[in-house]
Amino acid sequence: MVLSIIVGSVSLAYGYFEAGLDAPARWVVSMGMIWLLAHWRKLYWFSSFAFFLMLFTAAYGVWMELPTAWMLLGALGGLLGWDLSDFARRLQYAAPTDDIQGLERRHLARAGIVALLGGGLAYLSLVIQVRRLAFEAAVGLILLAAWGVTRLVMRLRKY
Amino acid sequence: MIYSLLAAGLIAVNGGMFTLMIPMLVYLLAGFLFSTDEIRLEAARRLSAERISPHAETVVTVTIINRGASLEEVLIEDVLPDDLQVASNHCRHLIRLPRDSSYTFSYSVTGPRGGYGFEKVRATVKDRLGVTSREVRLEARGQLFIFPPVTRLRHVTIHPRRTKVYAGTIPARAGGAGTDFFGVREYQPGDAPRSINWRASAHSEDALYSNEFQQERVSDVGIVLDGRIRTNEFAKGHSLFEHSVQAAAALADALLLQGNRVGLLVYAAFLRWTYPGYGRVQRERILYSLAHAKPGGSEVFSGLEHLPTRLFPPESQIILVSPLHEDDWMPLVQLRAQGYQVLVVSPDPVRFELSYLQKTGNVALAARVLHLERKLLLQKVQRAGIQVLDWDVSIPFDLAVKRKLSRPPAWMRAVGR
Repeated sequence: MVLSIIVGSVSLAYGYFEAGLDAPARWVVSMGMIWLLAHWRKLYWFSSFAFFLMLFTAAYGVWMELPTAWMLLGALGGLLGWDLSDFARRLQYAAPTDDIQGLERRHLARAGIVALLGGGLAYLSLVIQVRRLAFEAAVGLILLAAWGVTRLVMRLRKY
Repeated sequence: MIYSLLAAGLIAVNGGMFTLMIPMLVYLLAGFLFSTDEIRLEAARRLSAERISPHAETVVTVTIINRGASLEEVLIEDVLPDDLQVASNHCRHLIRLPRDSSYTFSYSVTGPRGGYGFEKVRATVKDRLGVTSREVRLEARGQLFIFPPVTRLRHVTIHPRRTKVYAGTIPARAGGAGTDFFGVREYQPGDAPRSINWRASAHSEDALYSNEFQQERVSDVGIVLDGRIRTNEFAKGHSLFEHSVQAAAALADALLLQGNRVGLLVYAAFLRWTYPGYGRVQRERILYSLAHAKPGGSEVFSGLEHLPTRLFPPESQIILVSPLHEDDWMPLVQLRAQGYQVLVVSPDPVRFELSYLQKTGNVALAARVLHLERKLLLQKVQRAGIQVLDWDVSIPFDLAVKRKLSRPPAWMRAVGR
């Protein structure tokens, strides 16, 4: 978790620093440090807030046309940090006699695979670029994506 | 956030925004794909003992069986009744539960007097990534009774006006077979020769006289446990009620052992009546009722004047276990006037309060005044023909009973002491 927060915040900061935006870079690093501190103090609610901030910073960076790869890495680090922080919170409920190491091992493996897959697909979307796409097709794809996301969220809300 | 990125991407006409969205979409999709629709869990509970004494421990064993799909992360939490505490081990576990497997855990609980019902085990099932969460409550019933401690009393002497027909230990105020001398009457055919009073017979020329002994029978006894807050609860959360419960349990046990028919009335926020009965089953019923007894207050039952005397057979023995309030004098006298034989077992509230208050001059003065008031109240009650056991709760109850209520030995009775 610590590693993902460090990687995420340092990537974002590096992206901003490379573009000469020193002050936002320092803010991002400070936020990463605060997140680590909050985790150490077991303030798990902070991870959701920090993830939102990191994602917002990454989106702002993309909008500012900073290197998307660094922004993507930052968002990915934030996502992993948030997931692992929530998992750490859940582990608090475990009794000392429970198989905590086994649970940790399995969750880390799954989260790692999902992060790799998500990161890989996102990277592919950066590499593969469709040169010519009709406006109607683009609108159709976007509507399809929105519908898919809505269905997914509705399904998840059932739980 | 995904929607925000989507909107931002559309507004800014920037594909990078969609790129940022992809890891989160994959994460959600993975959570959705690995979530379990069908949760079929079953729970079973076993208690090592269902009846224990206060602050003793009982081991609760819970088994969870998974009849459905494999569950990667299940938080099992046994929902404990209020006031019960986990003494050792844990009642909450985070586990993985493969298909058709089971998980058993044990922990021990302890708590104060009371009746407790275990009902459900809470299971929170998460998917492999923790995106979805479902909570199910599994039925696993169990009961635990923490009975008040029962002090064994050797003998409790009561003198009800009316006894029942069965032989017991209570003097029946009637001549017959017994141990205590009752009187002399004219010899009747069938009298044992050793019952002939030769000294009395010597005074008469043509008649013989026999000694008669007092019959000993069982009786109806109604125990009234005063659970009114105004008499039991004191400052800083101190309460005399537990002592009253202990006294009621000990008296009920002793009187039932003597063969009497005993009933119990808990007089608190409402009336809890245990119908009179004999023997061990009745002992269990009374202990069950005492386990559930709680002090309470209500406008209706703030005084003893609403004591339902019709519950008690006429001229039977009533034992009131109460710290007593100054207003209780008149209802007690009325009880006596109705023909009941009344015994008041009164835990001393003044000494009780004094035991935990700081020893200052003001406290000592107040205690002295209250002590005099209480003494006056008890004297008034005694003058009405009511037997009173003023119990300093720092003294064990059996010792207090032995001093005041136990039957004197035969030799002492013989010499009239």
